[in-house]
Order: sequence, then structure tokens, then C-alpha cells
Amino acid sequence: MSEPDSRMARSLKIAGILIILGLIVEVISLVWFHPLAFVLFAFVGGALIFIGMAVYLASLAFAGSSTAGDGHPS
Amino acid sequence: MFGPPAMLYILIGLTIALIAAVLLKPSVTSGAGGKILAFIALFLLPSLCVLAGVSSHVERSHETRFCISCHSMVNYGRSLYIDDANYIPAAHFQNHRVPPDAACAACHADYSVYGGLKDKWQGMRRVYMQYVSKPPNPITIPGGFSNRQCLRCHLGARSFEENPTHQAMMDSLRSGEFSCITSGCHDSIHNADQVDHLKMWRPQ
Repeated sequence: MSEPDSRMARSLKIAGILIILGLIVEVISLVWFHPLAFVLFAFVGGALIFIGMAVYLASLAFAGSSTAGDGHPS
Repeated sequence: MFGPPAMLYILIGLTIALIAAVLLKPSVTSGAGGKILAFIALFLLPSLCVLAGVSSHVERSHETRFCISCHSMVNYGRSLYIDDANYIPAAHFQNHRVPPDAACAACHADYSVYGGLKDKWQGMRRVYMQYVSKPPNPITIPGGFSNRQCLRCHLGARSFEENPTHQAMMDSLRSGEFSCITSGCHDSIHNADQVDHLKMWRPQ
């Protein structure tokens, strides 16, 4: 596996774990019937999911730029 | 067959399963199909889960049991069971003039264009007051209780329109110059500080 590929795989792993954690927090917030449940959903679950998606999108952008930079389009 | 929450749980489960598949076998993302799968698993489905989660939370924030789950709202919830028809919220709740499962929202929701957003903002402020600062005592509604909340249902209703007292002051009621609940006509409302001393209705 080349270095960009392993970097991409690591980014995917981080993004996936963050999103899964965010989704688990979302399930807890939906089961928990409490005024703080929305706060948990929005500020913890939502934040984890958004950071995970941002990591994934950033990895796509960086993978695209490194492919363009090495002069060997796939 | 399935309600919206069950559908949301299925969607979340499906998303987690797809992400796990991508994580366990990252090599699938080398092909075009795998890239699309990764995009669906790591972007499209999580976005959908967040949107559905927001919708689900907003929906259940309309429920009566949600409103009274705050400690400072407990007596307001109990006031819905006062056994006296002069108490406006109790009479509306007990006779299903408002949906009992969404009784608070029926009378307190802001029905203007951006009312939903304003309500959620107020709700977040109240959560802050409850857990970080201190809830006001007595609890008040910013700007007071507007006649529009009453007139939304009562305006056009025969018993309301034909009442000679209402007819005589209709313009003042519409403009809000004369308050339905604080001008001495329908002033028995929640009276949350008195509920311990009032007779309660016990549904069979």
C-alpha cells in the first residue's frame, strides 16, 4: 500500500469511528427522555458526526490534490 | 408498520453497518463503486441521520411530558389536573380542547413564520437557566402571553363570537390591548404555586 493510500485509509478509519460514536450518542439522546437530551444530541453527537464527515471530506480533497501533484492521474 | 423513531433507528443501524464494512475492508474504496459506497456511508447517510434526529427531537419537544420533565415545570404539569373548570389550562387539557399529548405547545407555541425557531431558542435558554443559572421565580413568558394564542382557535368559533362581552371588546382583544388572561376575565391559569392546595381531578 502506497503512502497516500495508507494516509487515506487512516483518515477513513478516524472519520468512521467519529461518525459511529456520534451515531451512538444520537441513539442515546433519542432513548433518553430529558431536556438535556437535545443538548447531548446537538453538541456531542452532532459535533462528532460533523467532525467525522469533515475528516472524510478533507481526506478526499487531500487525496485528490496529491494525485494531481504527482503527475499520475488515476 | 414502523413509526418515525423506529425508521430512524433502522437508518442509524444501517449507517453504522455500512461504515463498519468500509472500516473493516478499506481496500473496497479503491474502485469507483467502493468510493461511492464510502461517500454514502460516511457522508450521505450520516447527514440524513442528523436531519432525522433534529426532526425527531423537535417533534418530541412538543409533547406535554417533555415540557414537564424539567423540575421547575412539574407544578405547571400538575395544574392541568386541577378539578375546577375556571382554570383555563386545566379545562382545555381535561376536555381535549387541546391535544393532551401536546397541551403545552398548543397554547404556548409561537405560530408566526419563524415562531418554531424562536421557540427552540427560548427552550435552549430555559435549559440554560435550569442547569447553569437559575430559573426565574415566578416563571414568566418573555413579552407576556399574547391574545393571539387564544384567538388562533377561538376566533370564528360561534360560542366566542356570539358572547356579548367578547363582541363589545373584539377590537381590543384582536389588537391585544385587552388581555384575555390578565385583565380580570380569565385570570385563573396555571397558578402553579397553589396546586398543592387545590382539588385535583383523577382520570379513571
